[in-house]
Amino acid sequence: MPLIKQHISKSIEQDQRKRERDCTSLELQLSDPSSAARRWAARDLISCPEATGALVLQLQQEDDSSVREIILTTLTQLGDELAVASLVGYLRSEDVALRNEAIEAMKLLPDEVAPIMGKLLIDPDPDVRISAVNILESLRHRQVEEWLTKVIEEDPHVNVCATAVDLLGEVGTTSAQEALEKLKTRFPDEPYISFAADLALKRIRST
Amino acid sequence: MADTTISQEDFLKFREFFYRKTGIHFDDSKRYFVDKRLIERIVATESVTFRSYFVMLRFETSGEELQALTNLMTVNETYFFREEYQFKCLVNTLLPEIITSKKEGQLLRIWSVPSSSGEEAYSIAIYLLEYWPGINHWDVEIISSDIDTKILAQARNGDYSARSVEKLPAYFLEKYFRRKGDAYQISDDLKQAVEFTKVNLMKPEDVRPYRGFDIIFCRNLLIYFDDLSRRTAADTFFDALNPGGFLCLGHSESMSRISSLYQTRKFADSVVYQKSKEAQ
Ligand SMILES: C[S@@+](CC[C@H](N)C(=O)[O-])C[C@H]1O[C@@H](n2cnc3c(N)ncnc32)[C@H](O)[C@@H]1O
Repeated sequence: MPLIKQHISKSIEQDQRKRERDCTSLELQLSDPSSAARRWAARDLISCPEATGALVLQLQQEDDSSVREIILTTLTQLGDELAVASLVGYLRSEDVALRNEAIEAMKLLPDEVAPIMGKLLIDPDPDVRISAVNILESLRHRQVEEWLTKVIEEDPHVNVCATAVDLLGEVGTTSAQEALEKLKTRFPDEPYISFAADLALKRIRST
Repeated sequence: MADTTISQEDFLKFREFFYRKTGIHFDDSKRYFVDKRLIERIVATESVTFRSYFVMLRFETSGEELQALTNLMTVNETYFFREEYQFKCLVNTLLPEIITSKKEGQLLRIWSVPSSSGEEAYSIAIYLLEYWPGINHWDVEIISSDIDTKILAQARNGDYSARSVEKLPAYFLEKYFRRKGDAYQISDDLKQAVEFTKVNLMKPEDVRPYRGFDIIFCRNLLIYFDDLSRRTAADTFFDALNPGGFLCLGHSESMSRISSLYQTRKFADSVVYQKSKEAQ
């Protein structure tokens, strides 16, 4: 039968080890010329809690998106303060790809992101606030509706409110109704806002 | 008498620990399921309280108790020809595409993880033998892995219940199995065709040797994970696949929100995820 069985244990032995796996060597391998080696280093650094700094540094100069994804996964798993702070930093990046990747990674971190969400939503930079609303899109956290309601009640920037109102149409409940009605009066000259608020209200009332 | 009550705080502590070890996330509705199994192990290890059991679990160096507990906490539900449409896609579309970039004499490699009791891997073997003419020209290696050592022993053993083989056409049952009382024993040829190994997908040192696969089946595992573990698994499979290789998930599972490493390929019989041919 041409179905053949080899013993994976053979390849395990062969794998021991082309490269050193201690924390210092792994940090050095983050800049290895081979992207597979960089991905493996980033993955294995999960057992080196001190590695956050090195990962953050590499992320800033890494141009292979597959390596960036693994670095972000490890940072997300480490989930420590520095990791979260650096993710927040990427929300300010000029690099759109990196910004979006940071948003995706932060969506996976409800418990770590929740305590700083309040602050992100009042950041002076409206682009950061829009990113924060985008994170809420699939952050599984019970406060999501409350945060969004606050945004449409208080945020002075029409684009931030527009992003929030779209999302409220999906996740909102009757408790968001009043804020949605009020929003229309906050931006009377913005037809999109009235349109989106009405749509959200309609969805909420029909569910 | 052991004080085997598990408080909410104990539950939360255990849940976090177990999640970090296995990627498996229990939500509050699984409280009863978890408590029952924890108590079983507390009693079996004569640990007296949750506290003393938990200390032992965290600090034991052998990992034996964690394995025993893991074997209890996993859900192993599976059967032959489950989600058969994907095996059709395998023989009709995926393999023909894979061999276009293979050289004569090269090996094709398939990884079925998690294996549970082996039905999926053996179904793949049967499908290849029955429905893929290429099997006459190409050598195929099938490896199948799971975190649960007890269920792996069952897979290697190859004894199946009537329920497990229910979806198999009678003709295959006759051809590939032997009746053993109430059970059906899979043929030695098939047993010879699949290698079963223990792998915890959440452990980088476990998965590192698994490379060079053309097709990976990972079905009905991600449903037990949270998004972060799902993404970790997706990242792992990326390095286990050859460029151009395919990842097949269960019908209720998807990569789209989790990872941007893959290209989505929609075929007539299934949606699968592909590692780009140019990826390194
Ligand atoms: C429901 S079965 C799926 C079997 C088969 N793939 C199918 O679709 O029928 C889920 C299996 O995942 C295994 N599992 C859970 N966590 C795992 C992990 N971290 N690594 C490897 N296997 C795991 C369990 O032991 C269980 O056997």
